[in-house]
Amino acid sequence: MLTYDAYHMPTSLEEALTLWANAAEGSRLVSGATDILPWAREGRAGDVHLPEMVDVTRIPDLDGYAFEKGRIRLGANTVYQDFLTDVTLMRSLPCMPYCAIWFADDQIREQASLAGNLVNASPVADGTPAVVALNGEIELARLDGGQIVRRRVPVVDFITGPGRTQIAEDEIATAVIVDACNGFGGSFQKVGQRRSLVISVACCAALVKTDRDGRVFEDVRLSLGGVGPSPIRMIEAENTLRGERISHGLIEQVAQTAADRVGSRSRQDYRREVVVNFIRAALEDALADQPDIDVKFEDQEEQINA
Amino acid sequence: MPKLRIEAEVNGRKVDRETEPHKRLLDFLRDDLNLTGTKEGCGAGECGTCSVFVDGKLVKSCLMPAGKANGAKIETIEGLAKPGDLTPVQRAFHKTGASQCGYCIPGMVMAATSALRENPQADIEEIKERLGGNICRCTGYTKIFEAVEIAKGVIAGTVPETALEEDMVDDSFIGANVRRLDAPSKVSGRLKYAADMKLPDMLQMQVLRSPHAHARILSIDTSEAEAMDGVACVITAQDVPGTDGFGVFVHDQPIMARDKVRHVGEAVAAVAAEDLVTARRALSKIKVEYEELPGLFDPGEAMAPGAPVIHDYAQDNLIKHIPVRKGDVAAGFAEADLILEDDFSTQQVEHAYLEPEAGVAYVDPDDVVVVISPSQNISHHRHMLAEIIAKPINKVRFIMSPVGGGFGGKEDMIYQGMLALAAMKTHRPVQLNFTREESLIASAKRHPSRVHYRMGLKWDGRITAIEFDMLSDGGAFGMSSEGVMRKAAILSCGPYEVHNLKVDTRVVYTNNTPSGAFRTFGGMQAQFATESMMDMAAEALDMDPFEIRRVNMMKVGAKTHTQQTLETASLDRVLDAAEQASRWEKGAPRVRGATRKDLNGPDTRQPCTLGARIKKASKDSDESERVA
Amino acid sequence: MMTNRMKRGRGMAASWYGIARTATIDRAGAWAELDDGGTGKVVTGVTEIGEGILTVLAQVAAEEMGIRPEDVTIGDNDTSRAPEAAHAGATRQTYMIGNSVALAAREARNALFEEIADHWDVPVESLRAFNGELWAEDTNLRMTMEDAVATCKGRGVVPVGSASFTAHGTGLDPVDGSGSPWQAYVFGTQVAEVEVDTWTGEVQVLGIWAAHDVGRAINPRGVEGQIEGGVVQGLGQALMEEYTTEKGHAITHGFAKYILPTSLDIPQINCSIVEDPDPKSPLRAKGIGEPALVPTAPAIMNAIYDAIGVRIKSLPATPEKILEALRNHVPGREQIAQSARLERAEAARHQSAKA
Repeated sequence: MLTYDAYHMPTSLEEALTLWANAAEGSRLVSGATDILPWAREGRAGDVHLPEMVDVTRIPDLDGYAFEKGRIRLGANTVYQDFLTDVTLMRSLPCMPYCAIWFADDQIREQASLAGNLVNASPVADGTPAVVALNGEIELARLDGGQIVRRRVPVVDFITGPGRTQIAEDEIATAVIVDACNGFGGSFQKVGQRRSLVISVACCAALVKTDRDGRVFEDVRLSLGGVGPSPIRMIEAENTLRGERISHGLIEQVAQTAADRVGSRSRQDYRREVVVNFIRAALEDALADQPDIDVKFEDQEEQINA
Repeated sequence: MPKLRIEAEVNGRKVDRETEPHKRLLDFLRDDLNLTGTKEGCGAGECGTCSVFVDGKLVKSCLMPAGKANGAKIETIEGLAKPGDLTPVQRAFHKTGASQCGYCIPGMVMAATSALRENPQADIEEIKERLGGNICRCTGYTKIFEAVEIAKGVIAGTVPETALEEDMVDDSFIGANVRRLDAPSKVSGRLKYAADMKLPDMLQMQVLRSPHAHARILSIDTSEAEAMDGVACVITAQDVPGTDGFGVFVHDQPIMARDKVRHVGEAVAAVAAEDLVTARRALSKIKVEYEELPGLFDPGEAMAPGAPVIHDYAQDNLIKHIPVRKGDVAAGFAEADLILEDDFSTQQVEHAYLEPEAGVAYVDPDDVVVVISPSQNISHHRHMLAEIIAKPINKVRFIMSPVGGGFGGKEDMIYQGMLALAAMKTHRPVQLNFTREESLIASAKRHPSRVHYRMGLKWDGRITAIEFDMLSDGGAFGMSSEGVMRKAAILSCGPYEVHNLKVDTRVVYTNNTPSGAFRTFGGMQAQFATESMMDMAAEALDMDPFEIRRVNMMKVGAKTHTQQTLETASLDRVLDAAEQASRWEKGAPRVRGATRKDLNGPDTRQPCTLGARIKKASKDSDESERVA
Repeated sequence: MMTNRMKRGRGMAASWYGIARTATIDRAGAWAELDDGGTGKVVTGVTEIGEGILTVLAQVAAEEMGIRPEDVTIGDNDTSRAPEAAHAGATRQTYMIGNSVALAAREARNALFEEIADHWDVPVESLRAFNGELWAEDTNLRMTMEDAVATCKGRGVVPVGSASFTAHGTGLDPVDGSGSPWQAYVFGTQVAEVEVDTWTGEVQVLGIWAAHDVGRAINPRGVEGQIEGGVVQGLGQALMEEYTTEKGHAITHGFAKYILPTSLDIPQINCSIVEDPDPKSPLRAKGIGEPALVPTAPAIMNAIYDAIGVRIKSLPATPEKILEALRNHVPGREQIAQSARLERAEAARHQSAKA
């Protein structure tokens, strides 16, 4: 059971930063609160008493999104459901709708923010690999002599381990900045015993762009979650694919390299096998998701021609 | 403690209240506003019994701090329709029988309402996705889907409103689809389950549970807890006035641990206090000294010499052994053309009724101890409690509150005794509502089982002999174990006439979570093994799986495994019915999935591929842009 | 080169089950009254746990009393105010309490019929009542049940009844287990169709065909509801649910870890209700609560085998377990063993034919 003495809902970033800087030791920042309430229960943290909770969801600065030079700055109040309802976001961030649909359920998606998911830094957080594939950065703000100071950290560096990030004590996450990937196909892979409210041992996000004919990989982004303490970007695999003729054989070959990226010791055989298949499926699904392009696999064409 | 002020609009009415800052929206609705149609099933956002609308968006109110409700518009199940009225969604749930125990139903109605508000044209796949955060344990969801589709049509005007009305009855109510009489109370959230009940001056109980699987209790010091402001009483095994011990077949379980604990989660002491938070804080003030004992966790080791002994009366840890013998097994195997031998196992399973255990007890003016709880066995519970509290049986009264799912899991009297003791000690009403986590560790499960199986068959498929040996983990207490073993043994070899058989079912004590009654009472564990063996036999003999069953099936006049002569038997009819309904393609079960022609029929669903709405959204936007 | 990722298959399983308490005598009591306004009052010890028994009892009482189910009030579930009906479990509610309510309601109706027959001066056997109306066959005599109750009471009689219903199971012999544990048995058969994702190990059940004998379906929709619910619990046990402890400590301490089926995991469930009436009880109905889930898990495992050639003998068949089984699977091993068996079978047939 979670108890606390005060629940603050600041209405400006400055107010929030001030409250946060003065909050008693052990106080917590919350956005959707969908992680903290289940955490403070038997079997996990048990009964927890906190001095203060500072809720950031009423801060207008953190709402909405804006385009900036090929990138999108998503305010920290952007929730998962936005990736399923906002058509602009769906198009510009093609892996996010698939990531969102696998994330919890419709109701939790209405509350749970992407930024909060990143800051919690769970090794199996769905949002992390998707944001990493989008070259995501997190924006952090703090007060310095009464002035709001912001910095940006690449998400791949920001998350340093399970529950560990580079956020400083006095900072609040204010935005997530990602590449706008219009024209890419996106996908997200996850598996569990069921299809809703799934917690997966591993997950995988992909973004793919081909030439107009659908024959050559022009750009590929691949990342894995749940295979180690922090997210993994598959840079080598991306480089291997970029510029190459698209074929099932090549995809399979690249996918095999994912097995060795599995660092988690538990359930290793399973993870190794699943991530290989995830890469295959992620690439194939992303290729199929590309708008208005019919992909031609080299080995399939050969078969047809032969 | 500073208060939190909440100004909000709840079901169209302005609310301005002060409450504790740490409350969740769920607590605020249930405790402060008495809107108990919103239920707590898990407290962790995993079940959806607490779904409500906040500013038009459906959310799980157990995951929302009440502070977030300030300034918001809240709509709960009670606010969907005017009092006494029902919405088309609610009426459709009534029509199709979509509510059974009803505990998930307010949340499910909210999710269905949200699905149709978000997208009135949602297809069934999208509807299923939008219901994906709400768990129902009773209905199998099928009647719920049917209800949402009818409601969707009625709301859209494509289906006449008469579709919501009851089917006509001809000349008999027997065989008629009479609508459930209890459905309106369930779909509207009006039905009060035990956790929804409030009595004046009522105390809240919390239970201190064992952190050890097997340990001697050296001492319990409750003095600090008892001295706390707001604590009305603390109870332990010392407070039991009569003969302590309950159970379905053997009374081996004390109301609270006596001298030792036998599983993690066993009740050790309980506090009744003015409010929940005080009761929980008091638990942390109770000091229990334990001396840990070696634990027994593998049922396979329970009967080995030197294994830890869980109950003194059963030095070999055996709860029950049920033997069934028929014919001459050796001769049967000698006669066999083919002998198959294999091992099967089933896991421990939780009932997962959406309503966690809950109850209220009080002593009435005539000194009758009254316990209100969703007990599946009030008759037996009153017998046992009368002994435990040393009262004549007419001074103990059990009332069965609406049961939010049972499946056998509410047959054991695991908490009613504590409520009665606290009510007797304080002469005030006392309520105990389990958390989901508490329900998981303290209530009985389906017995995990291991079966070693030998089956002898003739080439024509006739079974000549079966040897069936089952070992089950009963966990720390006997509960229904004996009966479960008996039913498993009786049903073991399936609905087949087997002339020679040797069946043994055994259940042992361990320090695991107890096993007890669970829908099928051992029948499914046993028949899982038998029906797997039948498939393997059919493959080995190159026979269709229906045919091998027909060759062996019990008919009228057959002698069962316990040598009862059957006066009726309908296996032939159900085999025919299933074979025809499924358009079964005959053939031996030899991995022929790739070639069979009876797959993917109109009576199957398409595989779930998440995100039907994603493609649709981008397609729709393309169209709208072209129009613009 | 490309193997098919998704594989489908079908399997089936049969089952049987006993109705009411096992290997013991079972009993249930009920009281009934035909009340003012032509309504009915039934009191019995234990009823609804979600299965729909209240509605079944109302149908049964209404049918016996000649009134409508919605006119029946059921007082229940109170050890100090209602007669004992034992417990809510063992697939005994319709059988035990249903029959006891039927008999009690019949007695109340008979008490009323005696008075009305005398009042109309017709043989009591000629009276019929249904849906709130009472009439004497082959006459023009007809009245509402409301008037009938008023007439009966005007003659100084409150039409009440009570009944106890007994099922005669016997205990098992401690040595050979012989005995007659139940007086009524039901049988069932289910077919499952599955799709296995060989890349992830995920199994989706796409169809279930469930045929169950229920004796007599008092409320067919309610029977379907029980079958559907049972099938989905069976599916949960087959594929996802597993309460896990480590040295006695629960790992699956909440619903995030203890995985239950949701709306996205549900096959199309096709129910076939078979009615083989019970000869030993007035209602002739048997039951369905528990038996519905018995064949589901084995039918699904047999279907998985049909799809991918691996047999899961240890439940649940999680994606991890399926992938592991596939990893260790030697394709064709079963087929090789099979052809050896068949050769032996052929040789044996040959021999016996010669003999």
